[in-house]
Amino acid sequence: MKLKPKTLAMILAGGRVDDLGVLTFHRPKSAIPFGGFTRVIDFSLSNLMNSGLERVAILSQYRSYSLINHIGIGTAWDMIGRYRGISVLPPYQGYGNSQWYRGSSDAVYQNLDFVDYLNPEQLLILSGDHIYQMDYREIINYHREKDADLTMACLKVPMDEAHRFGVADIDDEDGELGGRVVRYSEKPGSPEFNWASMTVFCFKPKVLYEVLESNNREATSHEFGRDIIPRMMHENRRVFGYKFKGYWGYTGTIEEFRQANMDMLGVDPPINFVDWNIRTNLEHRNIRDCQPLKIGNNAQISDSLIYNGCIIEGEVERSILFPGTYVEKGAKVKDSVLFFKNAVGKGALLDRIISDVNTTFGSGVRIGEETKSGSKATTVIGWNNFIKTNTIIGSGCTVYPSLPPEKIPKQIEPGEVVR
Amino acid sequence: MSNPEDTLVLLLAGGVGSRLNVLVKTRAKPSVPFAGLYRIIDFSLSNVMNSGMKKIGVLTQYKPLSLMRHLATGEAWDFTGRSRGVKILPPSTGFRDSDWYKGTADAIRQNLSFIKANPSKEILILSGDHIYQMDLFAMVEFHRQKNADITVGMMIVPESQIHQFGAGITNDEGRIIEWEEKPKVARTNLASMGIYVFNTEYILNLLTEDKEMVDFGINLIPKAIAKDNVFAYPFEGYWRDVGTIQAYWEANMDLLKDDSEITPETWGIRPNPESEQLFADRIPARFAAGSKVNGSMISAGCVIEGEVINSVLSPGVKVGTGCRITDSIIMHDCVIEEGAAVDLAIMDKRVKVGKGAVVGTGVNKGVPNSKYPDHLYTGISLVGKEAEIPPETIIGRNCIINPWSKQEDFSTKVLLDGETI
Repeated sequence: MKLKPKTLAMILAGGRVDDLGVLTFHRPKSAIPFGGFTRVIDFSLSNLMNSGLERVAILSQYRSYSLINHIGIGTAWDMIGRYRGISVLPPYQGYGNSQWYRGSSDAVYQNLDFVDYLNPEQLLILSGDHIYQMDYREIINYHREKDADLTMACLKVPMDEAHRFGVADIDDEDGELGGRVVRYSEKPGSPEFNWASMTVFCFKPKVLYEVLESNNREATSHEFGRDIIPRMMHENRRVFGYKFKGYWGYTGTIEEFRQANMDMLGVDPPINFVDWNIRTNLEHRNIRDCQPLKIGNNAQISDSLIYNGCIIEGEVERSILFPGTYVEKGAKVKDSVLFFKNAVGKGALLDRIISDVNTTFGSGVRIGEETKSGSKATTVIGWNNFIKTNTIIGSGCTVYPSLPPEKIPKQIEPGEVVR
Repeated sequence: MSNPEDTLVLLLAGGVGSRLNVLVKTRAKPSVPFAGLYRIIDFSLSNVMNSGMKKIGVLTQYKPLSLMRHLATGEAWDFTGRSRGVKILPPSTGFRDSDWYKGTADAIRQNLSFIKANPSKEILILSGDHIYQMDLFAMVEFHRQKNADITVGMMIVPESQIHQFGAGITNDEGRIIEWEEKPKVARTNLASMGIYVFNTEYILNLLTEDKEMVDFGINLIPKAIAKDNVFAYPFEGYWRDVGTIQAYWEANMDLLKDDSEITPETWGIRPNPESEQLFADRIPARFAAGSKVNGSMISAGCVIEGEVINSVLSPGVKVGTGCRITDSIIMHDCVIEEGAAVDLAIMDKRVKVGKGAVVGTGVNKGVPNSKYPDHLYTGISLVGKEAEIPPETIIGRNCIINPWSKQEDFSTKVLLDGETI
C-alpha cells in the first residue's frame, strides 16, 4: 500500500480566458506557448513532478486538442507507471443528466466517480493557467497539520489589484506560513483584504463531496471561487490559507502575458528553469528534432531567449523566439514574443508584438507604431496569417487567425481589430 | 512489390577511430557529438528510418556504453513496435572462445544467427561514422533492378584522396570490373562509401564457405567481382568521413556557411536529447545584453554573455562576459569563464576554462603536436572531457589537454605550440 499515492491532483485546464483573445481561439489558456519552448501547463505539471505528485487528472473542455496532444501519455513528466499517470477527463455523455462542464467545480463533480475510485487522502485542485514554481508538498503538509477541510494557496497582491481575484483575509495563526481564512470574497468591488487565491486548493475529499453535492442541488453556478469557497465559509468549515511568497505569473491579459514572458529574460530570472526541472513535451511539434539555432554573420542578438530550430540573420532585442522562426537580414524584432514557425521578411520591424504560430511577415512590414497618445500597447497576430510586404500595423492591434491575406489592409490604425 | 521492409540493416559501429584522439578516449567514433546536438551515428540511423527499413542491428565493439545509452530503445528513430527494432550486437565468445570482430566481414559472420532470425531479401551494411543524407531504399531498388549480388555505394572524390578509400572501376552498365583497396596510384576517382547491399542468401553462403574472409574491401569485393554480379550505386551529394580531427572540424564549419550543404533538420536527421538523461529540459539559448554572436550554431541551454564567432556550441555551454570564442567546436556544458579566449579549438563535454585563460593562440599553426604529429598539424587544439584549464593559462596551437586534466596537472602557465598535458 505504500506505493499508492495519497494525493490526487486535478488540473483545471479547460478555460479560454476572453482577455487573451486570439491566442485562445484554438486552444485553452493552459496550452498557450510560453517562454520560448514550453506551454503554460508545463509549470503546473513540472511543479507536480517536482513535488512527487504523479497521479494527475486534467479536466479539459475547451478546444482540448492542442492540450491533449501536448500531454501525450505523460512520459515527459515521468508520469507513467503503475501508480503514476495523467488522465485527461473530457466532458462525456452518460446515462441520465450528462452535460458540458458547467463550471470549474462541476468539472470535478462530474468526475467524482474517478476520484472515489482512487480514494485519495487529499485532493489537490490546481489551475493550469499560471506561471509559478511551488512545492505542493508544503501546502499539503500544512493542510494535514491543520486537519483542514480546505487549504488554499494565496499571494499578497496590491490592494488596487485585489478586485480581479478571489481574495482572503488570513489570520496570523501560523505567522508567515499561513492561517485560518476568516473572510473571503470573490472579485470584490471595493476590497478590504488582499491575499489573492492562486487557484491551488487542497481539499479533504469527504468534505468536498458534501459541498459539491449541496452546490449541485441548490445552486445554478458551479465555480470554486464564486460558489464553493463562499459556501464552505458559510458552513464554517475549516478553511486555511497558505501564504505563498514566490513569483506568480498571472497572465490574465495580453500585457500580463507578454510581461510574464519578458520576466524570463536576463541572467537571473525569477524562475530557474534548470534548478526547478521545468519540463515540456519535446515530442509536441517535434521540437526535439530541431537543429541548433543558426546565427548569420550580420545578426545582432541582445537580451533574448531563442530556441533550437530558429535562423537569425537580422536583429533580435529583448524578445522570445520559439522553434522554427526565421528572421531575415535587416529585419528587427524587439520586445516581442514569436511563437513557432514565424518568418520575418527583410527589413521588417516588429516592435512589441505577440505572434501566434505559422505567421509570415513580408519584407518591409512595420508593426507597433506608437498611438497618438504616445503609449504603446502590444499588437497580437493570430495564427496562420500572411502579412503582405510593407503593411503598416499600429500598436495595440489584433489580427484574427487564418485570414485570407487580402482581408488584411495595408495600413492598420493603432488599436484596430481586423477580423 | 518492392518494399524497404524486406531489407535488414547492419550498422558497423565498432571502430575505434583513433585519429579523433581525445574525442574517442571515452566513446566510439559513431558516438562523437557532431553539429551541436547530434552524434555522428544519428546520420546513419536517421537515413535508415527515412528510407523505411524497420530492423537494424548495431555492431559494437569499442567503448560501446555511450553508444548504447544513446540508442536506448531506438524510439528516437522510430524503431519501436512489434515489427521494428534496434538490436545491439556486441562481440561474444563463441566456439573458439576468442572472438573480437576481426574486420567488417568477420563482424557480419559472427552475427549470422541474427541475420537468420530476421529473414530478409537483402542485407544493407552501413558504417556509423559518416555525415551524409541518402535514400537507402533507392539503392536497394537499384540493387534489385540490376539483379546484383552485391551493390556498393560509391561516389566521386578528388583523385588526390582516393588512397584513403576502396577504389572501383566500372563499365557502362555500372558493373564493378576492377577493385583496389586504398590504392597508392590513382586510376579512378570512384570511391567506396562503405555502404553495401548484399543478397542475404548470397552473403550467407559466401561467409560460411570461406572463413578466411575478414574484410569487405580487402577480401570479399575483389573476389566477388571475378565471378558474381557486383554493381556500383552512384551517390551524389554531401558525404564526409569525419575520421580525422581536421575533417571533423571542417565538416562542423561547413554547417555555418550561409548556404550550407549540411542541413541536419531538413535532412530529417534526428538526435536523441533524452539520452542526456537530464532532469530538466534544455531551455532556449539565453543571450545577455551586450553579447555578440555571428556565423555560429548555438544549441538550447547555452548562456551567452560574451562573444561567439564562427563556432558550433552544443547544449548548455556558458560563455562569460568578455569571452571571445572563434572558429571552435564547444561541446555540452562547457563553462568558459569571464575574459577567456578560445580560438581554433575542439572542446569535449564539461570542460572548464578559467578566467582570462587563452586556448589556441599564436601564428605557428604549422607546428604539429609532438606526440601525435599526424593527428594535429593544422593549428587545432584539443581539450578532453571535463578538463579544467586554470585561470590565465595560455595554450598554443596543436596542443592536447587530456580528459580530466586538473588544475594541478598544469605545471606551467604557458603551453607551447604542439605540447600535451
